[in-house]
Amino acid sequence: MSPSNLAIIATVAPAVAALLLLVVAPLRHKGAPAAWVTLLGSLVSLGSAIMLLLGRVDGGADVRVTTPWIQEGSRAMAEIGVLIDGVSVPMLIIVCLVALCVQLFSVAYMHDEPPRAYGRYFTLHAMFLFSMNIVVVSPNLLQLFAGWELVGLTSYLLIGFYFAKPSAAQAAVKAFWMTKLADMGFLFGLLVLFVATGSFEWTSTPSAQVATWVTALLFVAVIGKSAQFPLHIWLPDAMEGPTPVSALLHAATMVAAGVFLVVRADPLFAQAPETREVMLWVGTVTAVFAAGLALVQKDIKKVLAFSTASQLGYMVAALGAGQAFAGFFHLGTHAFFKALLFLAAGSVIHAVHSNSLEDMGGLRKKMPLTTAAFVIGALSLAGVPGFAGFFSKDLVLGSLEGKGHWIPWTLLMGSAFLTAFYMGRVVIKAFWGNESEKSSHAHESGLAMTGPLMVLAIPSLASGFLGGWLASQVKAEYHVHLGLTPIVASSMAILGIVAAVVVFGRGGKAPFAGVLEKLDTFSLVDRTWASGYRIGLLGIASLAGWIDRYLIDGLMNFTGWATLEGGASARKLQTGLVRDYALMVVVGVVVLVLIGVLR
Amino acid sequence: MTLTSCLILAAAVMAIGLYGLVTRKQAVAMLLSVELMANAANMVFAAYGHFRGGPSAQVFVLFALAITVAEVAVGLALVMLLYRRHGDTTVDLASEARQ
Repeated sequence: MSPSNLAIIATVAPAVAALLLLVVAPLRHKGAPAAWVTLLGSLVSLGSAIMLLLGRVDGGADVRVTTPWIQEGSRAMAEIGVLIDGVSVPMLIIVCLVALCVQLFSVAYMHDEPPRAYGRYFTLHAMFLFSMNIVVVSPNLLQLFAGWELVGLTSYLLIGFYFAKPSAAQAAVKAFWMTKLADMGFLFGLLVLFVATGSFEWTSTPSAQVATWVTALLFVAVIGKSAQFPLHIWLPDAMEGPTPVSALLHAATMVAAGVFLVVRADPLFAQAPETREVMLWVGTVTAVFAAGLALVQKDIKKVLAFSTASQLGYMVAALGAGQAFAGFFHLGTHAFFKALLFLAAGSVIHAVHSNSLEDMGGLRKKMPLTTAAFVIGALSLAGVPGFAGFFSKDLVLGSLEGKGHWIPWTLLMGSAFLTAFYMGRVVIKAFWGNESEKSSHAHESGLAMTGPLMVLAIPSLASGFLGGWLASQVKAEYHVHLGLTPIVASSMAILGIVAAVVVFGRGGKAPFAGVLEKLDTFSLVDRTWASGYRIGLLGIASLAGWIDRYLIDGLMNFTGWATLEGGASARKLQTGLVRDYALMVVVGVVVLVLIGVLR
Repeated sequence: MTLTSCLILAAAVMAIGLYGLVTRKQAVAMLLSVELMANAANMVFAAYGHFRGGPSAQVFVLFALAITVAEVAVGLALVMLLYRRHGDTTVDLASEARQ
């Protein structure tokens, strides 16, 4: 089968599953059949993706198949289709593999849900995979935008999965608002690009000024989608969704769409050094800031959420330094180990029925497989040499070494230490230490949950060794060399772990924990946005409401009122009395006569 | 007897009819007033026919009288209906159409 057909099958299979479940309501309402349909769709997608990958390993060339879209006369404004190259195929593999693992995990994890909710959950998963694949295979920015909005919608629906819970509903609305606010940047960026060049291609070469504007606007969307400072606040709240959803959407794939966009639009970003400079700093600030907040979270999922924002900061910093490949590589390894961490956390939450780290503890004897999976993920995230995260993080940091980026380099090194430190804290608190009341009844999850963990543990361990192959796919240079960065980075990781063992092994608190906790509870960024929402958005809304209610409605109501009142007073003329009519006739005649005489 | 005195008489009859039409409440009285006004007009016709023109004006008066009779027939029929409905012939009773 031709590569383009395979890519189309990979994209359309989940769409067919989603449509089937949406249209045939009994399938969805029964629950279990919905899971099978969705899993089948994802399996077909993954199979197609693997065949595409094998084709590329055999030396297959880039393929671009499109058909005209939005035709105006004989000219098409855009194209829709698939682009198969060194970026889309690895990304497709990552997305489909993680999605399949998460969906398999969900079969057991969501088992206690009522059948209708269970069916809805899997329908949304199928919709998500379709939307994400649209993003991945898109040959231009317009199709990417369509997929981008679709994943935003499914994210909203899945965060608000427990919509009866007010906090979940609020979190969903917040995520939707924040990302839509940022997505306006994408839309305006597209408009500017189209007006300037007449196309939606990322390969177009507008003037330097236009390129700066377009990339700056696109980057606003990236800040929102990839949870960068100061729009990161929706990501911790998004943890209200089911844990597998957090693993797939809010750790591995959807939030990485922002990074993917920049990797895709690299030719455009290469023309805008100013935007890249801003990206470098935004990424660095996010990486450090989020890592600091991750240190004091009491909810295991929130630790991982802040960690995700922090790691996305690394990717964005690498992209800002002009090393798209480093960012892409870290995206790939991060997708595996962060999905693994989230699913392992889900397994723990399933066992102790609580998100709080206080309710865990001493789980390593009760849940050996989950513990092993979480520790592998944590070591990979911390960047311990040999694990996947080490190679990609090393590449990110290496891309900053020299070139006058010493300040971000130093800050990100500090953040690497913090990463190892806070992951050490979580591992010690959850799996070592004393058992709590809830964790004493915990037991290992079944194979349906541990199976996906084992599958994801393999790339979390080994995908770092694929860097050379990935570099050859995207035609980037990749050398593993023993320089300053790897030595400092690995010592940071090990130092962080040692520090965590020393500090938390005895049940101590992190240094500056008080300050960080205050920072976390005060949540200045959150409050700023909330007051912006209240004053700005609600202010405009109430002004518009006032104009609508009193000015526009008032005018309409006045017209109606005046007509009614006028009619009522004119009705008094019609007395119904014959004498009055006779008098009127007489008066009328007299008036006519007078007019005739006086003229 | 001149044309002027005839016209003054006709005007007087017209004024009496008008006054009666406006002031009376009884349907029959109003009908009579209307008749007076119609006859005042007929008098003007007849006077002009006698002093200025030929016999054609007086022929018109004959036609007008015939039509007035028909009008009275319709008017009396209305009065009859009013009486059957309300047991009285005061025109103020016939104001249901206002609703």
